[in-house]
Amino acid sequence: MMQNTLIRLCYRKVINNQATKPWEQYVFEDTYKEFLLQVQFYNQEKIYTSFGELVAQAPAAEQLHFLVSAAAVGYIKQLQGKVPDIANSLGRLFLPFENFRFEIINSDIRDRSKHQVAINFYTDQLVWHETIGYQLLVSVPGKQEGDETFTELFSLQPYLSIYSIKKL
Amino acid sequence: MERKHFFKNGLAALGLMALAPLANSCKKDSEELSGTTTGTGTGTSTGTGTGTTTGSCTVSPTETEGPFPTKTPSSLVTGDIRSDRTGVPFTIKITINNQSNSCAALSGAIVDIWHCDKDGNYSEYGGTGMQSTNYTSVHFLRGRQTTDSSGLVQFTSIFPGWYSGRAPHIHVHVYNASGKSLLVTQIAFPTDVCNTVYTTATNYYTKGKQDTSNASDNVFSDSLATELATVTGSVSAGYTLTHVVTVAA
Repeated sequence: MMQNTLIRLCYRKVINNQATKPWEQYVFEDTYKEFLLQVQFYNQEKIYTSFGELVAQAPAAEQLHFLVSAAAVGYIKQLQGKVPDIANSLGRLFLPFENFRFEIINSDIRDRSKHQVAINFYTDQLVWHETIGYQLLVSVPGKQEGDETFTELFSLQPYLSIYSIKKL
Repeated sequence: MERKHFFKNGLAALGLMALAPLANSCKKDSEELSGTTTGTGTGTSTGTGTGTTTGSCTVSPTETEGPFPTKTPSSLVTGDIRSDRTGVPFTIKITINNQSNSCAALSGAIVDIWHCDKDGNYSEYGGTGMQSTNYTSVHFLRGRQTTDSSGLVQFTSIFPGWYSGRAPHIHVHVYNASGKSLLVTQIAFPTDVCNTVYTTATNYYTKGKQDTSNASDNVFSDSLATELATVTGSVSAGYTLTHVVTVAA
């Protein structure tokens, strides 16, 4: 039993030019457009075409992760505070989040197909009650009625990790 | 702060050779998305319905469709850039003129501005790549507007504070309508107004007068005549900044 452990999960959603869902396509298109705008500040001589080269030569361009994230924020808001893709064992989205971090994995001012980004969703704190087989039994704090706590059962999966842990 | 150092050093920073701590962690696993689940449980699920977890794969969401995504502009596209920041009310009016067209107003230009908050901090990711940010207030005091037929853009903000080594300023990046960069510049503030704000609105601004004058600022010292804005108003009523930026479009 792990009654007294709080965890936060991180789900890293990678989006590239293979995206098929509208939400992902919007994020792909709009973050690429924003990248093309903002990168000009760091690449005024237009020497570099790839994000990797640019960051290697002008470390201040690391700021582009943050700046370009502005194009994704509107879409992140549309998720209404639920981490996408990660379902509980009943097939429902259940992970609440308020925090995120956007990253540019690769991009290129001449080649849109090289554009690849990730959105890291950091969940709010969850109580980790137990591990059943390969599944974690957790609860969202406050989801209870009297002394009955409502729980969620889910599996760890690719790109989903435990980000932080706090023993009470 | 990284960003401050960058601006302090100006564009010279662009020339620096340095090993970038490029997000290695990002790159590594980005190409191996599928088929790597390592469930080791021995539990045997007996359900036969679809969506039952059987140890090496996970359930896909099965929900009523929605919320339906809608095309949304960058969160920078806003006239009110205050977000969660407080300070003396401040209206920023910037007019863009086109040198290549007899200095006539340039309409349809995209204007990005950003400045620090009352304490001298910019919105940015802090620290290491492990840190996360609340998505609702992450881009404070950054905005984007498109110039109207008289070349004007307007922002609602708070009077910026200052940080050590720089005179108070606003960053401006002007693009043409198709997004091509035309000019990166900064706007300077009249010192008397800054002194008034920083020494009387002390409920917000707690550091006193700025430590760097326009004359000794390494960005403004050689170009103050064209970069100094007109700022009118009062601490109680708020201030309005007006400035003309000339580009060659």
